Amino acid sequence: MRLKTSLFKETKHRELVSCVGWTTADELYSCSEDHQIIKWNLLSNEATVVVKLQDDIYPIDLHWFPKTTGGKKQALAESFVLTSTDGKFHLATKTGRLEKSVEAHRGAVLAGRWNYDGTALITAGEDGQIKIWSKSGMLRSTLAQQGSPVYSVAWAPDSDRILYTSGRQLIIKPLQPSSKVLQWKAHDGIILKVDWNSVNDLILSGGEDCKYKVWDSYGRLLYSSSSHDYPITSVAWSPDGELFAVGSFNTLRLCDKTGWSYALEKPNTGSVFSLAWSADGTQLAGACGNGQVIFAHIVEQRWEWRNFEITLTKRRTMQVRNVLNDAVDVLEFRDRVIKASLAYSHLVVATSLQCYVYSVKNWNTPLIFELKEGTVSLILQAERHFLLVDGGGIYVFSYEGRLVSSPKFPGMRTDILNSQTVALSSDTLAVRDKTDEKVIYLFDAQTGKAIGDGKPLTHKMEVMEIALDQCGPSNDRKIALIDKNRDLYLTSVRCLGREHGLNKIGTMVHTMAWNDSANILCGIQDSQFTVWYYPGAVFVDKDLLPKTLFNKDGSEFSHTPQILNYVGTQVTVRKADGSLVYSAVSPYPALLHDYASSARWEDAVRLCRFAKDQTLWACLAGMAMASRELTTAEVAYAAIGEVDKVQYINSIKEQPSKESSVAHILLFSGHVQEAEATLLQAGLIYQAIQVHINLYNWDRALELAVKHKTHVDTVLAYRQKFLQDFGKKETNKRFLQYAEGVEVDWEKIQAKIEMELTKEREGAATQSVRSSVRR
Amino acid sequence: MAKDPLAEAGLHFDELNKLRVLEPEVRQKTVELKEECKDFVDKVGQFQKIVGGLIDLVDELAKEAETEKMKAIGARNLLKSVAKQREAQQQQLQALIAEKKMQLERYRIEYEALSKVEVEQNEFIDQFILQK
Repeated sequence: MRLKTSLFKETKHRELVSCVGWTTADELYSCSEDHQIIKWNLLSNEATVVVKLQDDIYPIDLHWFPKTTGGKKQALAESFVLTSTDGKFHLATKTGRLEKSVEAHRGAVLAGRWNYDGTALITAGEDGQIKIWSKSGMLRSTLAQQGSPVYSVAWAPDSDRILYTSGRQLIIKPLQPSSKVLQWKAHDGIILKVDWNSVNDLILSGGEDCKYKVWDSYGRLLYSSSSHDYPITSVAWSPDGELFAVGSFNTLRLCDKTGWSYALEKPNTGSVFSLAWSADGTQLAGACGNGQVIFAHIVEQRWEWRNFEITLTKRRTMQVRNVLNDAVDVLEFRDRVIKASLAYSHLVVATSLQCYVYSVKNWNTPLIFELKEGTVSLILQAERHFLLVDGGGIYVFSYEGRLVSSPKFPGMRTDILNSQTVALSSDTLAVRDKTDEKVIYLFDAQTGKAIGDGKPLTHKMEVMEIALDQCGPSNDRKIALIDKNRDLYLTSVRCLGREHGLNKIGTMVHTMAWNDSANILCGIQDSQFTVWYYPGAVFVDKDLLPKTLFNKDGSEFSHTPQILNYVGTQVTVRKADGSLVYSAVSPYPALLHDYASSARWEDAVRLCRFAKDQTLWACLAGMAMASRELTTAEVAYAAIGEVDKVQYINSIKEQPSKESSVAHILLFSGHVQEAEATLLQAGLIYQAIQVHINLYNWDRALELAVKHKTHVDTVLAYRQKFLQDFGKKETNKRFLQYAEGVEVDWEKIQAKIEMELTKEREGAATQSVRSSVRR
Repeated sequence: MAKDPLAEAGLHFDELNKLRVLEPEVRQKTVELKEECKDFVDKVGQFQKIVGGLIDLVDELAKEAETEKMKAIGARNLLKSVAKQREAQQQQLQALIAEKKMQLERYRIEYEALSKVEVEQNEFIDQFILQK
């Protein structure tokens, strides 16, 4: 990926350009110390002077009024704020008319920024004050005051905090007066520019120590660049938060959000004082010290999937290379490419007006449909359909170009969704809420309706990343999530009225990804590369889970790596320095998943015998138990030496009726309540009581016995025996109460139990006879 | 020779018998003087002309010398700045080279990782064939 820069040859400002701002993706306004505001049109390659300001106005900063206000969309940016050296800020219209000039600071006003919904304006001055103004330019409050000039200020994603510079320090101050202020030393020189991205919540700073740094919103350093030759004069996040640009003297740099640099340009422009990305993230403009305005767009972006390699060669052209036969196809588009995604045998390309869907089998005839809104900010793909996110909503399209659904939830803000907070599978869509980061909304991808009773999944911690598994029936759909503590949890998406049972399956997990063709999860745990061959094991047999893991030393990935994808048997990891590292995972687990899903258990057992791998046997054991395939499970448990479990499975097999064995399988997975419910439903009250007795769950056993007026003496007898064995006295009041009226006679009890069992056996026999007759 | 009464009256005749106030000798001398004076004036004029030319020439030379001097200074400065420019250019190129080196390093790591995967997969294939 690199930047392709261009300059307008004829027109330029006579003095240094101080600020730039985009209105649309093709129109830019720039202000200069020659008092002119020039409008640059990239489509017609024309530059026209909008207005010549009064001679005493030297502009410093410009910011367009945000396009979205309170959920409503305006088609175009209509007005902007302009700050100047005389201590005023000016509210100006598109035509350049100054609607209002407000005396704001003593000395120059160094920065002016609208918040995301356009309800407030913040200005920072040379006098060290930060002031908040209403939309119409009325002073609301002076938020902060300090002895040194504030060079730059930025709003937090939810507009409730601001970030500003104070010499070498960065300060995050909430608007709420009593809230805690976060302050830290960020640079060894004066900080000149900061930016805070709304999508990834990361902070960018650049200063006179010639370094740029990336921080998270808690002030932890994520990246620090090496020292440049000249001070960093400007930094800017791209709107989708994937990239950022850095400007310095004769320097323009394009970097990944993790900090490493994609490309460096050395244009002859003098210092780049201000940088601005267009709203669709395709164009970059810089205000240059020599009076020029530099334009840049990204080319040579690459996408890879299996044997296909796609490169964006020009703004409107892509080159597809099939690595297997070196066949090259060239794809031409009518408009600029904004976003693209390649996965599941399909390439989805969003341009400013249209969406193209290509199949990897045929590059000649794409499916084209029009887009309502220009700027697609995210494309996610699943096997059967894909997801487009733009400023207006979330849309699921089939690969035939049909709109499948467009889920909505209250308070939805689509402009801040990214691939970490949205997950798509062939039947489910999951979106993490922004206002409450503990909440995950789950939707049926086909209908767009909320899954189950419509209640979202709520975790006890803030969720950082979510991912849905991609294969298998929709009822087994599972969602993996990483929370703020970096713990990895797994839960079932459709759990039919039950609470979402969140199972912790990993700790210190930085990054994770599901496989595209089997329900295998991989992640980087602390410094280990871990593959959960069968994460579903946690629902069947928790003790089994550690045995189904594949661990590998992850030191080759160094710190903070990012898993890009897990396709087939190959995991692609992006290291912190930007290099791609690949890791191969054994193909056997995927095969095993395949056999298990098609119920070919003999083949599965044969595969495990062939591979002679304990983890594989463990996976098979879990899968067989999940599908209640007891014979296979027995073999698999025997292979991993879990004798106790083999025995229990044997006892399950010997259960007199089907219901009992189902209940015992549930018990095996630790679902006591479900097991009890199953038994009670089948009228097997004694068995239910016995289950609780076996679990030393005395209270519940007695409760059941009393409720159904049967086997009270059994419970009491077992209780007595238990107390005797342990040499204890009865202290439980309820047991004392019932013990008074009931005689304990072991022989009678044994007879009763025997009777119950025969009854059950008979019941099961007649049932099977009935079902066979029916057949 | 008898005294000429005319001479006494201060009048004389010249060779052409014209009446003169001056003595012929004096007159002749005067004429000579006049001639000589004229000569002198002519010569002075000529001298002035020559000197003027000379001055002009010298002036021109001075001017030329001045421009040359300026040129030399300019060239010298340019030379100095070229050195500086080269330095800046070198710096820029160094930065670009460093960038490319970083990219190369990334590719090297990627290549190594892929080679490792290849080795692993070959191993797997060998194992697979052997077990069969």
